[in-house]
Amino acid sequence: MATMLRSLTYQGIPIWRNIYVVQWASQIVSGLLVVVLVSWFIVNIGNEIQARDIPYGFSFLSREYQTPIGQHFLAYKSSDSFLYAFVVAATNTVVVSIVGVILATALGIVVGVSRMSGNWIVAKAALVYIEFFRNVPLLLHLFFWFYIVLALPPVRQGYVIAQRLYINNGGVSLPWPYPSSYGMATTWLATVVVAAIIGRAVNRWLTRREADTGVSSYPLVAGCASAIVIGAITWLVLSAVSGITPFVMSQPAPHGTFGRIAGGFTLPGGLIALMIGLVTYTSSFIAEIVRAGIQSVGRGQTEAARAVGLSAGSTLRDVTFPQALRVIVPPLISQYLNLTKNSSLAGAIGYSDLTNVAKTMTQTAPAVSIFILIMAAYLVMSLTWSLIGNWYNRRKRFTGV
Amino acid sequence: MAAGSTSKAAMLPPPRSETGVVGWMRINLFSAWHNSALTVIAIASLALFLWYGLGWIILDADWRVVPTLGGRLIIGQYNIEVACPGQNCFWRPQAALLLITSLLGMAWYVAGGGLTKRIALLVGGVSAAFAFLPLGLDQMGLDVRLLLLANVPAVAIGWAVANYTRLGSASWIAILSVVAFLLTLVLLRGVPGVPFLHPVSVIYWGGLMLNLLLAIAGIALSLPIGIALALGRRSRLQVVKFLCIAFIETFRGVPLITLLFMSQVLVPLAFPDNFPQNSLFRAAIVITLFSSAYMAENIRGGLQSLHPGQAEAARALGLPGWQTTLFISLPQAIRNVIPPIVGQFISLFKDTSLVYIIGMLDVVEISRAFIQGNPEYLSSAKEVFIFLALVFWVFTYGMSYVSRRVEQHLGVGER
Repeated sequence: MATMLRSLTYQGIPIWRNIYVVQWASQIVSGLLVVVLVSWFIVNIGNEIQARDIPYGFSFLSREYQTPIGQHFLAYKSSDSFLYAFVVAATNTVVVSIVGVILATALGIVVGVSRMSGNWIVAKAALVYIEFFRNVPLLLHLFFWFYIVLALPPVRQGYVIAQRLYINNGGVSLPWPYPSSYGMATTWLATVVVAAIIGRAVNRWLTRREADTGVSSYPLVAGCASAIVIGAITWLVLSAVSGITPFVMSQPAPHGTFGRIAGGFTLPGGLIALMIGLVTYTSSFIAEIVRAGIQSVGRGQTEAARAVGLSAGSTLRDVTFPQALRVIVPPLISQYLNLTKNSSLAGAIGYSDLTNVAKTMTQTAPAVSIFILIMAAYLVMSLTWSLIGNWYNRRKRFTGV
Repeated sequence: MAAGSTSKAAMLPPPRSETGVVGWMRINLFSAWHNSALTVIAIASLALFLWYGLGWIILDADWRVVPTLGGRLIIGQYNIEVACPGQNCFWRPQAALLLITSLLGMAWYVAGGGLTKRIALLVGGVSAAFAFLPLGLDQMGLDVRLLLLANVPAVAIGWAVANYTRLGSASWIAILSVVAFLLTLVLLRGVPGVPFLHPVSVIYWGGLMLNLLLAIAGIALSLPIGIALALGRRSRLQVVKFLCIAFIETFRGVPLITLLFMSQVLVPLAFPDNFPQNSLFRAAIVITLFSSAYMAENIRGGLQSLHPGQAEAARALGLPGWQTTLFISLPQAIRNVIPPIVGQFISLFKDTSLVYIIGMLDVVEISRAFIQGNPEYLSSAKEVFIFLALVFWVFTYGMSYVSRRVEQHLGVGER
């Protein structure tokens, strides 16, 4: 017995006390456990799918969806395929995510800086804003705003501002430029991009010249002006050549016997409530991140900036904030992810976001495949935000003196 | 001049403009022209906001909708005829509340007063005060009122039990809390065949009771699971590390609402037919796992903030690996990340309102459904949601207040 035990050794150590053996054994056991559990689930799901005749696979994607989607930024009709309907719904979520992120960041920075203000009332007001908005569930925010929008008067008694802006329980209708033809619109947009690049080049060239020679030549003004002039000239040329402007302003106006608003662009009530709710909720978190970032910059930086004669605004803009960005950006990006994921609550207030449409899809398409698609879509969105954040973070990190 | 001598100027009091109310205002409100302008604008808009806000709250708002909702806010549909035929089941959640207050009484004794004492007295007092509500909350009979009143003696009994028996220790309270939670579940679910304990299906559980049950279960479980995941993610065992990363990133990458919906459609398929499960159970599991993925990242941050010398010193003194982790690394790591951990608890509590997606009527959803079903209350929607916002705010603000006090107690940032 003793000889047998002694033979169960590895380099003189009994194997049950050998760290490598123990580690490998526990890894193999845990890995196997997970594999067994997951395959048990998969086998069960497979059995259920066969037993209940649930359709599976991805062949449904080319079938017609045949269900209307409430709001859509891409053109959509019921005869479009499942795949295209999924893309339309994903676009709805992406639009909310991008616009929401921009607005929430702007509002969050304003509130966060106000929280640090030397003015007692402003600082306390910002504190109350933050403490109230982030301590209440987002769903309550959304319901609150949605029922306020719902309580707006119907179309006929709705508010009209300057014959241009219509506000009623259907949403807010406002004038909107529509492309007169896709060819012209894309041509003009392409020149605008070129103009922006040229403007940026002019700006950099003049900035460098100013730094080199000391000759002031208003680089920012000159850059913007050159971009605007190029854009305006192509607009005029395009209009003169084809007799119609690349974009035509469409005005909302009541139509028909029910006074339904047609023309322009109508922001549906659900979308407005979603935007207000998401932006105010997320901005209260961003405000705290901004405050933590600003506080992370040493007091000496602010004091030194003030001592060399920079104004309070310039100190914040040129000294404190650029340094604070290093601390701010990583948690800020995770707030962007949260906002994107939180937009899935849109279904509760009748906005057709990705989750909401996908939920409807599960009634006519295999749920398992739909879930794989949803997870992939959110994963792609999360990864995109992370990539943007990491790229920005690399640019802003300490590079030494 | 000699170093010790003082001039007359040094003995003068500070100028009047620097002290008192006027001085405070000069420094904090009117230090420069733009600050003065900001103050005036802020005061003006605040005054407008308060004038119209208070005017609306006192004069225009119709708060009658809140008592109309009444007991539904607390227990949802638990008490309706279908759920609880032929009897009034309102008393069962109230009896469960007694367990909580008596545990709080015990905690008061163990903590020796302070914040715990105030929380115990507050919860007991407020619960008892509900007994005197003149409103006939949905079928709130004499039995419910008496049970509510009993919350005050329950605190005292808890304190006395902790004082005079051997149960007055933190570990006993932890064990009794688990027992009380299970008892609460049995009490609410009911036992077939026992009079007065008619089984009530979980689909009728609702209101604030549902939010609190999910939150308590989630908070109690997501911390240990999160710790395990965080340790796993930092492990040198590659398989374990990979599994933990895959779990954390999957759960963090998808919205909770999608996961909840998935649990409703997919999980019944994944288990055999005779496997016991219900929607409440699934919701609790999903919320817990979702929260523990975030918790794991918070705790990982705490572990990363520790100097490696701590663990090295512990190993050098001869502590085995698990003791190093349990007694050296984790306590310091968790102490460093109390704010994000409590922030995650608050998120979890707020997220419990998402169970509407699987058809459970939590406090938010039951109010919304009520407004939707009774169009005459459509104009009172604002009042309902503001009231609910206040309810949530009281709980979440309470949590962050306690966390700040715990941090002070542990001396975070001072050592």
